[in-house]
Amino acid sequence: MSEPLNLLIGLAMGLNLLALGSSRLLAVIRAMSVQGMVLGVMPLMIVGLSGWNVLFVAVMTVVIKGFFIPGLLRRAMRAARITREVEPIIDFVPSLLLGAGGTVAAVALARVLPLLPEHAGTLLVPGALASVLTGFVLLIGRAKAISQVCGYLILENGIYLFGLLLLEATPVLVEFGVLLDLTVGIFVTGIIMDRIQRAFDSLDTRKLTVLRE
Amino acid sequence: MTTLLLAISGLGLLLSLPAGFSGSKAWLAGVLVAMTAGLVAAVVVLQTGEVWDWRGTLTVGGEAVHLRLDAVSALFLALLSLVGGAGAVYGREYWTEEKHPRTARWGRVWWSALLLCLGLVLLTANGLHFLIAWELFTICAYFLITLDRRRPEVRAAGWLYLAASHVAMLCLVAFFTCLAVRTGSWELADMRDHAELAPLFWLALAGFGVKTGLFPLHIWLPSAHANAPSHVSAMLSGVILKIGVYGLIRFSGWLPMPPGAGWMVALIGVVSAVLGVAFALGQHDLKRLLAYHSVENIGIILIGLGFALVAAQQGNAPWGRLALAGALLHVWNHGLFKSLLFFGAGSVLHATGTREMSRLGGLWRAMPWTASLFTLGAVAISGLPPLNGFISEWLVYLGLFDSTNAHGPSAWAAIPAIILLGVTGAMALACFVKVCGVVFLGAPRSAAAEQAHESGPAMRGAMMTLGVACAAIGLAPMLFWPMVAQAVSAWNPAWAGTEVPAGLAALGAFHLALATFALVAAATLWRRIRQRGVTRAVTWDCGYVLPTPRMQYTAGSFAGIITEWFSWILRPERHEHRPDGVFPFRADFTERTPETVLESVVEPAGSAVMRMARVFRRLQHGRAQAYLLYLLIGLAAMAVLVLIGANK
Repeated sequence: MSEPLNLLIGLAMGLNLLALGSSRLLAVIRAMSVQGMVLGVMPLMIVGLSGWNVLFVAVMTVVIKGFFIPGLLRRAMRAARITREVEPIIDFVPSLLLGAGGTVAAVALARVLPLLPEHAGTLLVPGALASVLTGFVLLIGRAKAISQVCGYLILENGIYLFGLLLLEATPVLVEFGVLLDLTVGIFVTGIIMDRIQRAFDSLDTRKLTVLRE
Repeated sequence: MTTLLLAISGLGLLLSLPAGFSGSKAWLAGVLVAMTAGLVAAVVVLQTGEVWDWRGTLTVGGEAVHLRLDAVSALFLALLSLVGGAGAVYGREYWTEEKHPRTARWGRVWWSALLLCLGLVLLTANGLHFLIAWELFTICAYFLITLDRRRPEVRAAGWLYLAASHVAMLCLVAFFTCLAVRTGSWELADMRDHAELAPLFWLALAGFGVKTGLFPLHIWLPSAHANAPSHVSAMLSGVILKIGVYGLIRFSGWLPMPPGAGWMVALIGVVSAVLGVAFALGQHDLKRLLAYHSVENIGIILIGLGFALVAAQQGNAPWGRLALAGALLHVWNHGLFKSLLFFGAGSVLHATGTREMSRLGGLWRAMPWTASLFTLGAVAISGLPPLNGFISEWLVYLGLFDSTNAHGPSAWAAIPAIILLGVTGAMALACFVKVCGVVFLGAPRSAAAEQAHESGPAMRGAMMTLGVACAAIGLAPMLFWPMVAQAVSAWNPAWAGTEVPAGLAALGAFHLALATFALVAAATLWRRIRQRGVTRAVTWDCGYVLPTPRMQYTAGSFAGIITEWFSWILRPERHEHRPDGVFPFRADFTERTPETVLESVVEPAGSAVMRMARVFRRLQHGRAQAYLLYLLIGLAAMAVLVLIGANK
């Protein structure tokens, strides 16, 4: 079971780097949505088509992460009339290097961690750690709110990958709850972005420093 | 009967709260009835020695109300009642609606609330209720201190008082909760058989010590006493400081003592006594000077308490009984004469509008009542016969002398304590000679002092009451001894008994004789003056042709020699331009005694903390990205910790 799964996780890790290296917001959103879809089909590969509930979760994940949320973000992008991350806090090449370093470190760290034998052969844990790190680099290193939302989603994808370790033990309800939370979170962020856009005439979150105490 | 009296007292105070808001007559009646009932109840308990114990069905904070009045708390309740009643009479004339339309009614309401809360502190036998009442009375006192809050120095004094009180509160919360956790209940009672509770005494010493104003913790005391309205200063010094002493005496009687506690208390007492009077000598503000004398007198009380603790630990040596009795009687005495002195100072302030001694002078002609009553208080506080200060200090001395006869380490400690107590008394006398001389004698130094007028009958009456009480204890100590002995036996049952210390009766007789002699001498002198008249002449004027009142001795120059001995701690700030040349043009000299502990210890420490805090404030800059970075660093640090822990 692990060869195709590892391949998909490898693809997700590659998409991480793509998201880090691209200055175009559309490319980042696309990388994020493809990663969401790739992750969405993984439960099917791990447990197979054993029941309608796993299928349901997989389909919903693909729909929400692959189409619904990216659609929301594209709309926000059009509304704010921005297409590029112009002056990132951490530049693209250093971001890429950080992401690559993080991926290597994640693989190295996963060897040290005390894992169950059936997980030791997969890239699940390194992939999860690498995605979390990528998410953090995007959150810290980008100034535009849309990039940060993407970073947040990639971070969440990493957590989702961790969750796959416990797929058999996690009830479907929890998975679904996570999805719902995520959707609501993006909604709220969308509203906040709209407010930032109106108040500051920009989506640059650095301007929020005037709001401090 | 005690139940009835205390119920009347509580009800009177409760009714005086709304009455104080609308008018002053009904309020005064309520407070006076309450205080009289409280005084009678306290005297009944002190005479009989019976413990009044009352449990209500009402619960506050989940704890049933439990009140108890034993001889120790009754001693303090008697003082509270007397000073509270006299202060109400005095305050009604001192802080009138005409002069203070905005705050007069609030002054009355807070006064009633303060008395009520202080009474609760003394009566409650539950730790939680003690804390609640303690906090409430602290807040009432804050509002009374800052009655005149349009003046910035009053606000500053109030703030300092509040901050210091809350540091004390923190210690007390820790103390009472530790006590409750270790004993399993909030009930307060004799816990001397729980040896593991002994270390808690240090917390109590810190917490009650701030309120008591013992030496390094007295920082709030001078400014609060100086800037509060005078009847509030009297209450602060006469009663509120004593509530701190009450806490120390109460819990040193109920808890097992850690070894060395007695020595520590006695040492703090000696330091407070000597440095308190030294600082008092350096003051030029009448009320600030009196405030430092409170530090000194608290020191005397603590010397008595400390040696009593030492004696209790050395197998209840009988000399401890005398030292404790001296301390307890000094609680009364200091409460009485210090309130009298603050009333006198308030009367001076009322008449002249200034507390600066260098602007006063010659007031005895305009204010004979105030001058003579203030002098009476000054004689009492200096520990001179035939007044009450001498009796209580004599008891403390007697205890210390007996301990030197008993040999052992306490004998060696008692000798320096005796010497320093003597030094304190001498310096207190010097200080009050300075005050009385500068304020009441000589010629007026300013127009305000020239136009001074005597205060009204209520203020004089309140002062007279306290003066009579001072004289009564001094002239008839045998009447008051049984009450103090009851309180001593309530503190330590091993010292129960009614035997009178040898010489007390003789001392009382001697005081009576001395007072009679003084009165006869004064009357004779008065008659002679009336018969022969007085001729006024210029004093030796050093060859000046036109001596002016400004050439009189100042308070600073009078105390100069003694303050010079203590310049290592007083650190007086002097600015002088000496006259030079044959025809000197201009010269001036100013001197100020800073609050050494506050200005060179507490304030630098506070600003150091603020500087360190500013470094950490830089972390808060409003950039969300960096906040996320902090999160990541925190997470990574925790992961590293977990990994290190797992590999061990």
